[in-house]
Amino acid sequence: MAIMKWKRNDAESHTRDLDTIQREINDLFNMDFFPGARGLFDRNLFPALDVVEQDSGYQVYCELPGVDKKDVDVTISGNVLTIKGEKKGKSEKKDAKFYRKESTYGSFQRTLSLPKDIQNDDVKADFQDGVLKIEIPKMEEAKRKSITINVK
Amino acid sequence: MKGKSAVAKCNIYTVEENIVMELEMPGVSKDNLDIVVEDNLLKITGNREHFRPDGDYLVREMNRDDYYQEYTLDETIDTDNIQAGCENGVVTIELGIKESKKPRKITIS
Repeated sequence: MAIMKWKRNDAESHTRDLDTIQREINDLFNMDFFPGARGLFDRNLFPALDVVEQDSGYQVYCELPGVDKKDVDVTISGNVLTIKGEKKGKSEKKDAKFYRKESTYGSFQRTLSLPKDIQNDDVKADFQDGVLKIEIPKMEEAKRKSITINVK
Repeated sequence: MKGKSAVAKCNIYTVEENIVMELEMPGVSKDNLDIVVEDNLLKITGNREHFRPDGDYLVREMNRDDYYQEYTLDETIDTDNIQAGCENGVVTIELGIKESKKPRKITIS
């Protein structure tokens, strides 16, 4: 019997499949002429988000270039993570004459429901180079353990 | 430049007779930013090698490719007077305009 690829059977896996299709369609249309947008469906209303699962926990990344650290607010209640804040344009200066303006300013908010196995009392957040990184550890029981099987 | 590169969002404006460029390059710090002026070409490279964590991506919306952008500078730009800074993932480049190209007032005698 051939080994079959293990597929996670949860709600996220379906959206992930859709994501892959979307990415492939987007790759057909090279969106270089419209910087910032990553595809036909990208409307650029929200800051981009990445969630990376590692053995010990989850890392959430949020792209916030030009946002000041003090204007970002991160809250977690249960397993719902909310990132909100405001991007204030530095260039909204006196008598600046624009030739090109691609950045958008204003307030933003993203809410994300995280997997159930998180430990929400030990969350670390760090803001560096316009990227917010939030580290959320997994519960002890949920950490992947490797078991060595002795062959006799 | 090998591989795919990301395109940064860019604002260009003039303020006090200088041309200012603002490029949004999240994940790029001063140390992995490279700005080169070659004749009339301004090349901006933002390396994001360190910006690709290992793991299983549950959500992936960010583009984590390196940035590479080229701009041609016309003869009004003083290539000896270019300053750059990087803060919160935004690269600011200030380009000076040549003295001889600045508007000047002609007094009527």
